[in-house]
Amino acid sequence: MSSLDNPTSTLPIGPVHVALEEPMYFRLDVEGETVRGVELTAGHVHRGMEALALRRTLFQNIVLTERVCSLCSNSHPFTYCMAVENLAGIPVPERALYLRVMAEEIKRVSSHLFNLAVLAHIIGFKSLFMHVMEVREIMQDVKETLYGNRMDLAANCIGGVKYDMDAELTRFLLSSLDRVEGAVRKIAKIYGSDVMILRRTRGVGLFGREDARGLAVVGPVARGSGLPLDVRREAPYAAYPRLSFEVVTEQDGDVHSRAMVRMREMEVSIDILRQCARDLPAGPLSVLLPEIPAGEALARSEAPRGELVYYLRTDGTETPNRLKWRVPSYMNWDALGVMMKDCKVSDIPLIVNSIDPCISCTER
Amino acid sequence: MFGFLKILAANVAKGPSTDPFPFVESPAPKRFRGKVRLNPALCVGCAICRHVCAGGAIHIAGRPDGSGYDFTLWHNTCALCGLCGHYCPTGAISMSSDWHSAHPQTEKYDWCERHFVPFLACEGCGEHIRPLPSALTGRIYADNDVDEAHLARLCPQCRQLETALHLGRNGHEDHKRA
Repeated sequence: MSSLDNPTSTLPIGPVHVALEEPMYFRLDVEGETVRGVELTAGHVHRGMEALALRRTLFQNIVLTERVCSLCSNSHPFTYCMAVENLAGIPVPERALYLRVMAEEIKRVSSHLFNLAVLAHIIGFKSLFMHVMEVREIMQDVKETLYGNRMDLAANCIGGVKYDMDAELTRFLLSSLDRVEGAVRKIAKIYGSDVMILRRTRGVGLFGREDARGLAVVGPVARGSGLPLDVRREAPYAAYPRLSFEVVTEQDGDVHSRAMVRMREMEVSIDILRQCARDLPAGPLSVLLPEIPAGEALARSEAPRGELVYYLRTDGTETPNRLKWRVPSYMNWDALGVMMKDCKVSDIPLIVNSIDPCISCTER
Repeated sequence: MFGFLKILAANVAKGPSTDPFPFVESPAPKRFRGKVRLNPALCVGCAICRHVCAGGAIHIAGRPDGSGYDFTLWHNTCALCGLCGHYCPTGAISMSSDWHSAHPQTEKYDWCERHFVPFLACEGCGEHIRPLPSALTGRIYADNDVDEAHLARLCPQCRQLETALHLGRNGHEDHKRA
């Protein structure tokens, strides 16, 4: 309630339809159009997936983890499989490591295009939104042709991968990448120069380097604030140690910086994909599985939204004793409190979208 | 702004990018993970597919009279993950590129992949067994000079005995030659 003594009033936003079609509830203290305080409430889409994982075998959990989230649906089973492999000491064949990287990077390009499209959608630039989604369709076709599905690639199995590349598919992938690369360059120019986008995104949702360090954010949110954090570089896994790539950073820490990090990361991913296609070694796709012993293991990977951590504990049976994962959005979530401080109410969807939140991952 | 107008104009000139389904067919790529299919001639009933199936969509049950087993896969429970096909030792399970999934409510209990795999009497002891498909015997006895077709129609115990006798005979001859 606003009064002369207390000029702020309370504004509830959400839980439905804040930026993405995922539930998230904000209780804001607003003074006129300016946000003075933020309180986040989560838990609307808790599905009990960690408990479900304990009732399924190690094989079945590959499929369950793939369904935690749609946009990073490859990162989950991939990291889960790595956790099982770390636990049992399974050596993954070299070819499978490259194929796993390919699946990851294809998903990253699609995921970033989706986030950038939603940014245009929130601004109200619907024709740009449609165009970016259309460019993303090229990647969707790549996924459907290579893996058989537009979202759930089902590329991973414990000890390797389930799919293979041949000359025809490699040609198709490379020609699609050429098309996407050309389109991404044009889109990058628009996002970097269009007055409408710049006025809505520059200086909005400020999140400094020290804030980023203090709140331990990950992924493009950290890199947009000038912190070069990337699991692919810091704790290399799969074929990443053998690939050369740049860790993209931007210094301004606003909505625009985070968008441009994603924009430039797509070009890096396309380059990684080309390296993989060029260097793909011959050999088996997966190994025969040993008994999975009792023990515990951890695995980390760089999902499109940042660091993803899987913890697995087994007791010698086929069902895990505990499976826990920490998703990037969980770390980036708290940054919203800093980003939204003193912002305009109309900028809230833009700021929320700029951390690319995945509620279904976080609440599972 | 003007940069985008060029793209916009090009997109307008290109026309809609969606397929006008259902007026034309909308084909899926070769690798599309659509409805699961079983080739009953290759199925040996090892049930690894049922073991790894994430949704519990696969049901395998022997008939009480010992005449064979029924394989049922519920399309509505299937998550289309392809683990069954990946772990199938004979390649009996595969994913088709059939993506059509609309069906009336009245057909929901029939919307399955159903097959009966018959048993035959073992040529040695007469017990009811699932004869081995040639794809499997070819792999098992790739380096052995044996009558695969006959071995395929034996139960595991009789097969073991038969191959042991065969190897014994050959070994004896080898020994004599030496």
